[in-house]
Amino acid sequence: MIRLEKVSKIYRTRRGDVRALDKVSLDIKEGEFLAVRGPSGSGKTTLLFSIGGMLCPTEGNVIVSNRNLYAISKSQRAKFRAVNIGFIFQMFQLVPYLNTVENVLLAARVGTKCFGPEDAKSLLNRLKLSDRMYHRPSELSAGERQRTAMARAMLKRPGIILADEPTGNLDPENVEKILRHLVEYNQNGGTVILVSHRKEVDNYASHVIHLKDGHIQEYE
Amino acid sequence: MTVFQLIFREIIKRKLNFTLSLLAVVITVSIFVSFFTTGQASKNETIRLMRDIGFNLRIIPKKTDMAEFWKTGFSDYTMPESHVYKLASFKGLSYAHLTAVLQRRVIWKDMDVILAGISPEVPSAGREKTPMFFSIKPGNVYIGFEVARRTGLKKGEETDILGSLFSIEKVLPESGSEDDIRIYAHLHDVQAILGEENRINEIKALHCLCIMKGSITDSITMLREQLLGVLPDAKVLLIRAIAIAREKQRYMAEKYFAFIIPFLVVVCMAWIGILALINVRERRREIGIMRAVGYGSGRIAALFLGKAVLIGLIAAAVGYGIGTWLALEFGPDIFRVTANMIIPEIKIFYWCLIAAPLFCALSVFIPAMIAVTQDPAVALREK
Ligand SMILES: Nc1ncnc2c1ncn2[C@@H]1O[C@H](COP(=O)(O)OP(=O)(O)O)[C@@H](O)[C@H]1O
Ligand SMILES: [Mg+2]
Repeated sequence: MIRLEKVSKIYRTRRGDVRALDKVSLDIKEGEFLAVRGPSGSGKTTLLFSIGGMLCPTEGNVIVSNRNLYAISKSQRAKFRAVNIGFIFQMFQLVPYLNTVENVLLAARVGTKCFGPEDAKSLLNRLKLSDRMYHRPSELSAGERQRTAMARAMLKRPGIILADEPTGNLDPENVEKILRHLVEYNQNGGTVILVSHRKEVDNYASHVIHLKDGHIQEYE
Repeated sequence: MTVFQLIFREIIKRKLNFTLSLLAVVITVSIFVSFFTTGQASKNETIRLMRDIGFNLRIIPKKTDMAEFWKTGFSDYTMPESHVYKLASFKGLSYAHLTAVLQRRVIWKDMDVILAGISPEVPSAGREKTPMFFSIKPGNVYIGFEVARRTGLKKGEETDILGSLFSIEKVLPESGSEDDIRIYAHLHDVQAILGEENRINEIKALHCLCIMKGSITDSITMLREQLLGVLPDAKVLLIRAIAIAREKQRYMAEKYFAFIIPFLVVVCMAWIGILALINVRERRREIGIMRAVGYGSGRIAALFLGKAVLIGLIAAAVGYGIGTWLALEFGPDIFRVTANMIIPEIKIFYWCLIAAPLFCALSVFIPAMIAVTQDPAVALREK
């Protein structure tokens, strides 16, 4: 479903080039739960953004659902992302002036199918946010913010969820909740790629890769 | 979320940025509308003011010998003082200053002087105006420079003029004209000492306007005819000098307008452009989020352009209201000549409704492009 062919990413900076990904090749099947682990600066985020169509690699191809992501136009890529990919970030990345329901509905009208407030509310119910529907992100706890972000990513039931250290800013109880929701999504057929430096995520994943200096060190 | 909902929510969140942008556009539109509205008054096509400007009239008795008149500066004949009130109530003409005058040459203290009686200005309908003519209290006189020099009279002294006692209220500074041998007094005092009760020999009307159709020459002929209907034993002299001066003044105002408006528009555009740029910087992360959830460039640009258009529309409506109010409230004072013609210009409203959003959109074009080309991966990495 997702195939990376010798993907390299070099960030060119004034203080020299940074090779964040170095000829990474990877196959991820539909319905897989892949955990990406590795130390800080190993290229995990870069890998995730490349798969999500947010970051054009310097070399190599990223093929998702039979589409060569960086061979199509920017606007086609945006449409593809709207329909097929849900992002979850460590910093939650909610729009500060929108309430919970509105944040979930941010992309509801982008893409082919339209989703309405009812879809958002039922999803928020399942994520135990029914009494926080009209709160602003600043009025939510970290766990509630992350579940809101999760609802936003899942609203349109995209084939792929890309989660970049979603548990990084959470307490153990909330970590557990978030991971359980991701597993559930995966069990319903979604492909999940989870970036984390926590060892315990290995228990949830069907595969684990270890990244170091832009290389895949290990594949389990 | 529709683009409109997002624009609306963001405006509420960042009120200051929005208010400052709106303010700049409102001010620009207001100034433009008020200038345009007052300026337009003088350009009205169907009903025209004489040369779009004022003119001066001198009305003298019909029998006056013009050769004699131009030699002495006044008529030997007289007409009733009531003529000035008839003229004042004549609907076809508006004036800024109106007075009645009786002048005679008299020998006084072995000097050939001109005795000039001036009535207080007859108020014109509408606004209070600063008087242009001397307004002399009964029993007082102003004496010309030469008169004072020859007689040695000073301010505050009393003097006898043809049997009546007057107090000298003012010695006029040297004028270098026949005014230096004039003695000015209240009309009724002069009428009394000359034994010419209720008689005058000239009416002066300054900064006159008349509403007219067709060519200017036709209109003047028509005005003269109309005036003769009201004042059958009078003759109307038209002085064009002021018309030319007024025309120059208007031309200057137009040039000023032509300079200030583009200047104002450029400053306003830069202002809202910079505010939009600040807005784009503030919203880097938001834009990144929107990109991540699949927003295309069009939608991102629409957030900024849409907001600009909204600002333009609101500013057009508010600015039109304020500008028109300013024009109606202060225009008549500033543009006295065309005061009566200042009317709200609905045409300019439609114009603003198109131009203001267009200029606003144009101003935020660069910031919008910056927002569109911004790298979401970088924005989302920021902690
Ligand atoms: N925009 C950028 N410009 C320059 N270097 C970058 C940029 N983004 C990331 N890097 C560098 O690329 C490397 C990989 O970063 P990243 O993918 O964020 O790693 P991780 O998510 O594993 O911490 C790091 O050394 C980082 O400093
Ligand atoms: Mg990272």
